Amino acid sequence: MKKKQGFGLLAKQKAAGWGFLAPASLLIFIMSFYPMVKAFITSLQTGPAAKLAWAEPIFKNYTRMVNDKVFLTAMGNTFLYLLIQVPIMLILAILLAQLLNNKDLKFRGLFRTLIFLPCATALVSYSLIFKTLFANEGLINSFLRGLGIIQENVNWLGQSDTAKAVIIIALLWRWTGYNMVFFLAGLQNIEYSVYEAANIDGASGWKTFWHITVPLLRPVIVMTGIMSINGTLQLFDESVNLTNGGPANATITMSHYIYNNALGQGVANFGYASALSFIVFIMVAILAFINLKVGDTRD
Amino acid sequence: MTERTSRKPAVSHIQRKLIPSYIFLTIMSLISVFPLYWMFTAATNTSLEVAQGKIWFGSNLAENYRNLIDGQNLWQAMGNSFFYAFVQTLATLLICSLAGYGFELYHDKGKDKLFAVLLLAMMVPQVATLIPLFTMVSKMKMLNTVWAFIIPGLATPFMIMMFRQNSRNFPIDTMEAARIDGLSEVGIFFRMYFPMMKSTYAASAVIVFMNSWNAYMWPRTVMKGNTVQTMPMLIANMSNGYAVDYGMLMLGVLFCSLPTIIVFFVLQKQFAEGITGSVK
Amino acid sequence: MTKKLVALFISLCLLLGVASAMGEKLTVTAWDANFNGNALQAAADDYKANVDPDFELEINIVSGSSDVENDITNAGSSGDYSLLSDIVLFQDRYIKNFVENYPDAWVNLDGAEINWDDITAVKQSYSTIDGVHYGVPVDNGTAIMAYRVDLLEEAGYTIDDMKGITWEKFLEVGKAVYEKTGKALLSMDGSGNDLPYMMLQAEGVSLWKDGRPFIVGNEKLKRVVELLIEMEKEHVLILANDWTGYTNETIMQDQVAGVLNGNWIIPTMTQVEANAGKWQITSMPTLDGGEGFATNGGSSLYITGNCKNVDLAKKFLAYTFGGSKQTYDEALRKGGVVTCCISAGQSEVYGEGVPFFNNQPVYTDIVAMGAKIIPVEESPFHYVLRGYLGVAMQQIKDGADIDTALQEAEDATVFYMEGMGY
Repeated sequence: MKKKQGFGLLAKQKAAGWGFLAPASLLIFIMSFYPMVKAFITSLQTGPAAKLAWAEPIFKNYTRMVNDKVFLTAMGNTFLYLLIQVPIMLILAILLAQLLNNKDLKFRGLFRTLIFLPCATALVSYSLIFKTLFANEGLINSFLRGLGIIQENVNWLGQSDTAKAVIIIALLWRWTGYNMVFFLAGLQNIEYSVYEAANIDGASGWKTFWHITVPLLRPVIVMTGIMSINGTLQLFDESVNLTNGGPANATITMSHYIYNNALGQGVANFGYASALSFIVFIMVAILAFINLKVGDTRD
Repeated sequence: MTERTSRKPAVSHIQRKLIPSYIFLTIMSLISVFPLYWMFTAATNTSLEVAQGKIWFGSNLAENYRNLIDGQNLWQAMGNSFFYAFVQTLATLLICSLAGYGFELYHDKGKDKLFAVLLLAMMVPQVATLIPLFTMVSKMKMLNTVWAFIIPGLATPFMIMMFRQNSRNFPIDTMEAARIDGLSEVGIFFRMYFPMMKSTYAASAVIVFMNSWNAYMWPRTVMKGNTVQTMPMLIANMSNGYAVDYGMLMLGVLFCSLPTIIVFFVLQKQFAEGITGSVK
Repeated sequence: MTKKLVALFISLCLLLGVASAMGEKLTVTAWDANFNGNALQAAADDYKANVDPDFELEINIVSGSSDVENDITNAGSSGDYSLLSDIVLFQDRYIKNFVENYPDAWVNLDGAEINWDDITAVKQSYSTIDGVHYGVPVDNGTAIMAYRVDLLEEAGYTIDDMKGITWEKFLEVGKAVYEKTGKALLSMDGSGNDLPYMMLQAEGVSLWKDGRPFIVGNEKLKRVVELLIEMEKEHVLILANDWTGYTNETIMQDQVAGVLNGNWIIPTMTQVEANAGKWQITSMPTLDGGEGFATNGGSSLYITGNCKNVDLAKKFLAYTFGGSKQTYDEALRKGGVVTCCISAGQSEVYGEGVPFFNNQPVYTDIVAMGAKIIPVEESPFHYVLRGYLGVAMQQIKDGADIDTALQEAEDATVFYMEGMGY
């Protein structure tokens, strides 16, 4: 009798557990996975939006990507942002977190707040702010001219290299503080005594950083790494609002190009756009998986 | 006395060693704040002065405000944004915290596997789901309502993960004790978990509120008309005319940025604590 | 507590949902409050005052023409038109494609009393499909070629010297102006390519031939591109990075002695009050001499399949933008919107001298120029090609070979069209 009641309770608890996570799980299935399946089906079709028909051959939208110069350019740009911006941002964020984690430092709260602030601005706003800052007659140029670093205005958004640089600077500006908060939190979970021990051993700042901080933060690095890879491969707003992909597609991202195919130019090619986005999805998944494997501490 | 004299130099010695840190952090803070400073000054200048990159405060604030109020439904858009972001924050926190709680405290193999699958949703590109989602929301007759605004963001893998990680701090023993006291499973969640996880809720609220306040692409797809538009939509509308008034526009940008900045300032202590719990 | 909140949400949602669907009311979606918004308001006031005192027009402003176009794509592909306003305003070049793809989304103008002979030919060529009219024109995109007379004078020229000249001559004058005043005679958004489009239209040449892109082998296009590159090298032309750079820097910061664009550029020019009275307008140069006329931008109003009161919409559009002098005059006064209606250009308001343009009656002149534009072949893929041509222009400016860059633009456009089964 008693046993039976205990079993009933357990079953009840189990059911409650499923009950708690059911709404969220269902919503994710309906709002993310189902549309993705639909997008996959669409990716096998061609033609104008209202008259989609099965592609012939069925994977035509996928095979034609290889010949799509603009998509290849967009892919190159996106990976360039990934390779340059994400490492700089994460190292800078860890460094800042490390400095702010020092108990002897004054104004810690103030520094933390100020450095985090950029990510409170709306994407629409911050693109506008950066666009005006980096304009030909904008503040950055007059500032650099005033310092004597440059003689003539630099056409930041008009040359492919500098335009890419502005996108990277904008991304660094907005997201470094955000990632720093996660690292700071990670550091606060590490016993302060570990550092004191390192100090007693006479380890230099850089040594402590590379040999103690970075390894201990590994789980946080994996998490922020996945978030950043995901964010960068899906980069959209900066490309659209800051440079509009230009000059000459030098800064266009994959998501921006997908958008151009889906909605940007009046004649929507949903089939092809869906195929492209499916490829992006697979890329993100693969990179996230590699990141998890590399970061896995259980060898 | 002896103690005092020996401590004082020690402190200043430490501070001296920290000088490079102070310099570096000050530079980083200035870089972080400068564009926001520019936003403030630009809001007080005329269109021409903004275009010419004037760096100081001007005298055109009142004029910009008058133009903004006359030409745009500023307060309506602010109200809409507040309403949507508020509903979104409440609903998302409830749904995701329930899930995070369920995944961590009732975990078994099946649930862990499901969680791994849900994480995949993080990688679904937004552009890919835009049209299918629009079709779905339109079939549910939700277009132009707050439900259309909130529904894709109600459950996100990131938020669930946040609550799941933080739930590790929740003592299982107290759960058992509560059960013996006759509290139901739902009761435990609302009466015990909820109050204990305040800082997690605060941190999540900051993130959800910011994301939903700043959302642009989805709202502009499902919300049409002056009465339902949000602040980012209003700004985008102002920035794309044939002739743009930049002073007025930057004032709009300022209005759009202030609420998220204020929310962060008010909740920042809890925010830091909540994030700390999430990366344990 | 939660119950109260839920009740509150539901009631608020209901409130947001209601408040429409009553009586003599129409909704319209457009972009740019100062320009299109004011023109629509002028029409609404006119109709209210002279036809129906109960009439009401709700004007929804969005961020750009692309917003309206995306709404139509969303609605058309999901088959749900319920978010479309009764009337929408969008750029002229899309309607053919939209009618072909989403025929249910539109109501044609059969039975609307509009004197079509009084509307410019080029405007009608966009919005008429197989002889059936769909769009009621709002603004006239007729290009103006404006010059700073004072700067021309410094270089030894007058405005009359600029009428009917070749682009070669324009280049020569430009060099002189740059030497004397340090200002460029022309500027443009280097990422779009409005300039080659207008220059080609003035020649009566299209970038399309029998539905296919006509870039490679288009001799006039090549001449135009070569000319623009040379103008840029000689400081006669500034190619700005983007639209903002074009308006904010080159025009508003007073870097140019000439402006060539659709006449909706005038409100941007007049922001520089210091130059009032120093500008005048005329027709544009051509490759081989003679006056050139072109159009850029411009949009029309279309009745959607979601319109609850089609008769009212037709009556309203026909009465106002279909020929009411009061609407046209007020749209011009309040929004700077210039009509496509040829006879309306004769009105007193249109004929007034404009102080900013040295008291020249520019609006009458613009309407007259609009009537002389030659329609050329259009394509639903206009904006696709336009994007790639912009890329090619930027590449050529940075030193790429002209033929290679143009070939790439054509290939990319063909690639896009093939993907759609064309």
